[in-house]
Amino acid sequence: MRAFTYTEPGTVTEAVAALAAAGPGARFLAGGTTLYDLMKLGVEAPAAVVDVHRIAGLATIDTSGPAELVFGGGARMADVAEDPVLLRDYPALAESLAKAASQQLRTMATVGGNLLQRTRCAYFRGGRPFACNKREPGSGCAAREGLDRGHAVLGISDACIATYPGDWAIALIAFDAVVDVLGPAGERTVPLAQLHVEPGEHPEREHTLAPGELILRIRVPTTGTGRGSTYHKIRDRESYAFALTSAAAAVALDADGTVTDARLALGGVATVPWRAAEAERSLVGQPLSPDASRRAGEIVFADAVVGTSNGYKIELGIRTVVDALRIAGERATQ
Amino acid sequence: MTAIPPTLRTERVDARDKVTGAVRYGTDRVPPGLLHAALAVATIAKGRVTSTDTAAAEAVPGVRLVLTRAGEGELASAGFLLGGGYGFQSLQPLMDDRIAYRGQPIAIVVADTPVAATEAAALVTATYETEQVSLDLDAEGVEVVEQAATLPPMFADLVAGDAEGTLADCDVRVEGTYDLPVQHQNPMELIGCVAEWEGDDLVVHEGSQNSGAIRHGLAAQLGIDAERIQVISPYVGGGFGQKNSLQPGTALAAIAARRTGRPVKLVSTRMQVFHNASFRPASRHRVVIGADRDGTMRAAVHEVDQQTSRHDLYPGSYTEITARLYGIPNFRGHQRLVRTDVQTPGYMRAPYEHPAAFAFESTVDDLAHQLGLDPVAMRLANDSTADPITGQPFSSRHVTECLRRGAERFGWERRTHEPGSMRAADGTRIGWGVALGAYKGAAVPAVARITASSDGGLRVEVGGHEMGQGIRTAVARTVALDLGVPAADISVVVGDTRSVPQHLTAGSWGTAGALPAVGAALGELRKALGLAADGPADVAAAVAATGQANVEVEATYTAPGQPPEIVLDRLRRGLPAAGGPVYPGFTAFSFVAHFVEVRIEPVIGRIRVPRVVSVADCGRVASPVTAASQLRGGVVWGIGAALREASEVDPRYGGFLNADLAEYTIPVNADIGDIDVDFIDVPDPLLNDIGVKGLGEVSMVGVAGAIGNAIFHATGKRFRHLPIRLDDLLG
Repeated sequence: MRAFTYTEPGTVTEAVAALAAAGPGARFLAGGTTLYDLMKLGVEAPAAVVDVHRIAGLATIDTSGPAELVFGGGARMADVAEDPVLLRDYPALAESLAKAASQQLRTMATVGGNLLQRTRCAYFRGGRPFACNKREPGSGCAAREGLDRGHAVLGISDACIATYPGDWAIALIAFDAVVDVLGPAGERTVPLAQLHVEPGEHPEREHTLAPGELILRIRVPTTGTGRGSTYHKIRDRESYAFALTSAAAAVALDADGTVTDARLALGGVATVPWRAAEAERSLVGQPLSPDASRRAGEIVFADAVVGTSNGYKIELGIRTVVDALRIAGERATQ
Repeated sequence: MTAIPPTLRTERVDARDKVTGAVRYGTDRVPPGLLHAALAVATIAKGRVTSTDTAAAEAVPGVRLVLTRAGEGELASAGFLLGGGYGFQSLQPLMDDRIAYRGQPIAIVVADTPVAATEAAALVTATYETEQVSLDLDAEGVEVVEQAATLPPMFADLVAGDAEGTLADCDVRVEGTYDLPVQHQNPMELIGCVAEWEGDDLVVHEGSQNSGAIRHGLAAQLGIDAERIQVISPYVGGGFGQKNSLQPGTALAAIAARRTGRPVKLVSTRMQVFHNASFRPASRHRVVIGADRDGTMRAAVHEVDQQTSRHDLYPGSYTEITARLYGIPNFRGHQRLVRTDVQTPGYMRAPYEHPAAFAFESTVDDLAHQLGLDPVAMRLANDSTADPITGQPFSSRHVTECLRRGAERFGWERRTHEPGSMRAADGTRIGWGVALGAYKGAAVPAVARITASSDGGLRVEVGGHEMGQGIRTAVARTVALDLGVPAADISVVVGDTRSVPQHLTAGSWGTAGALPAVGAALGELRKALGLAADGPADVAAAVAATGQANVEVEATYTAPGQPPEIVLDRLRRGLPAAGGPVYPGFTAFSFVAHFVEVRIEPVIGRIRVPRVVSVADCGRVASPVTAASQLRGGVVWGIGAALREASEVDPRYGGFLNADLAEYTIPVNADIGDIDVDFIDVPDPLLNDIGVKGLGEVSMVGVAGAIGNAIFHATGKRFRHLPIRLDDLLG
């Protein structure tokens, strides 16, 4: 780990200014659960760190409003996961946080920082001697011919097949969340669906935030569909593991059991949080059945591209969709 | 014997110190003037270092030393533990330019702070000439070694009767080939040490199962008298076999301390522990069993290929238990070693027995299924009282009772035979499986010294190390029960070379060696104090009556049939000295029966293990609380090994890819259900006076087999590899 300068501004405006003043390669620090980890591995080596984790007001959680849920970028994952409104009306959002990492990490990590968590690809994290276009643009991708059991099958490119690791963003994208950011050029709003970018030829570029932009808050439009939702996470052990496949699913049903609204997004299978809009449309107007759910899952993976050892993710992903929609359907009718 | 006080039934003597953080582990030590070391490691899988650039590392503020090559005569190999030496491997880094595996150290950096040392180590760069590598059993360029033809007679093939001939005329034959992965022990406590020179004397604090080997190995490496070296390892934060020998970093820390004139602490990173310490090697097993239609097993063949390194032959000992699980009169074992480009593998809890039992007990399950027999009943019908290999009786063998009691506690009679026949209302598939395990009853020479004081204090020094298994509690309990004194009055010293000789504490022989020595010392103490041969004693008064403040006695224990002088000399020189399982007139093994329920959820197919019943025959239970903990812990390891743990190797790069606790998925609490343990608790009449056999290792043996058998019962699918993960069940 290399020496770096550390500042702790008192307001978001000062924080943005401090980061701009620190020059290229500076990083905001919130919970530190990813940044410090990557700094110790030598994958991140910022010359300056601007600590925002104690800024007053950045950690506000407000789920009382009629129009939207608001989560300050600095709110702790553990706190948001225990919010009673979320637990009752948006179980998918609460579960996506509760099933992430460990209790210790969730107590440190923030919901804003979590959106930008970097991939767990071992070739990315391992440093030398592995080739990684994300870490060292142009060096190649060791994962493509390597151990890819955990890698993505959707949204991949020749340059990168690294999986987006997070859970929270998967649930958020299903509920049309937006992100308010503050940067040197002022404040703007980015739909979560436009926050992350597929690797294409530039896997080192992971999101659309401009240099120095800080996530102020995440806003989620309220919807009754949230009650019939789940975040279903399938992994190699029951806690403290990243998703092999995951699905955030939500449905609203009319009195006959016909789907009137469907939300579906997948994690663990794609390079970015993966909203399955076409699959959602296939469900609406039909009874929620295992067959319909399976068809929806098949639609998600129609264009999947598998490597050496991650082919199972297609069938597992489809089944994850089926099971998630079953749980969501049960909750929708309770 | 006096009634057992409640505290002796329920408590570890060091429980309070552990949970309050009062316990000091090796690298907790912070002597004045301490410097911190870090290792720089090779990024190639094999070849040679052609140049090293240390300029950037040396420029880091606070760096005191960057050492890429030991000086002439400064460092020697300590030799391989199983080749007459002391090290986990014979290869000692920083002695030449050869790179045998990725992650091999190429420099040690010493600095004022751990941060500076770590940063500087990352800045050491090297250029290399690379060579072709062979990383797994099937790789091009591996070298296959016939073990029996190459290693000493104790590693010869185990043979009884005529296996092949008998197989040919058995009614049924079942056969399977099983692949077991590389695994790493991953103790919470990383490998590390603090090396301090006091003049020409060296003191090392290090969490180790073998302080004696560190002492004598360092003497050989540094060219100094072993009497000038003391090693202190009062607590080990998990060893599991990985800390059973001298680690290559310890001599480097000692050299760095000598060069800088300051104490030096070196703690490996988790990733380095994956690469610079031993691990469970990959192994492949071919098992053939022949039987009569009634399920009588008449012949078995067990052939094993096991990975080793280029530089050492880590021997296999897989068939030692499979030859004894049943009374199979015709048995042929055969073991080969496959040299690959890796650090030398070694012992990890139930090192041979876990893979061997998985392969063998899966095949036994296939046989029962093919014959339409109940797997418990068929095992009961094949029990044996004599050792099929030697013809000798077992010192004690309660396999039938383990199976009967386990079946009853588990409710086995409610099992329906057909695979897939048991289902929950929601479609969850339920499988019930059983498997046996065994582990040699080893015995190790040990010296015990008791110092009794007129104030009532009792200090017990004995060979052994406290790795969490509870050796202190077992020793204190033995003394407390013998003399009728409170355990709180007894201090137990283990893992300290300033005391009595310290043996390699492994192979489930730690307690089995320490307790007989302590028992003998208690006899000496009673004699010295003129006390009755047994019963409660007023030790303080008896000491006071002698007119002295302290009375000290010493006793030794050696295993039956071992030449005492030879093995005690090995013990005093820090060399492995354990004996067993074959003794003059008897053969000694511990046994266990595991019963497992798996539940496989309907859509996704996640495998869960809601309950396990395990009944062990470990002779007398020396310490009920720690024994139950040992057995439960072994079951947890078995669940991890069966369903989760594997170290991944990318054949292009060598080394291990998932080298951290996030990606190497040991089980978490949420993966573990109810584990119900019980003990036969009948003293072994022959192995030692105390009646104990080993427990720590046998606890894990057979768990993976029982899980695999339960998965077969749930699904009708037989998996012949580990771990069995949910992607396997999709197909």
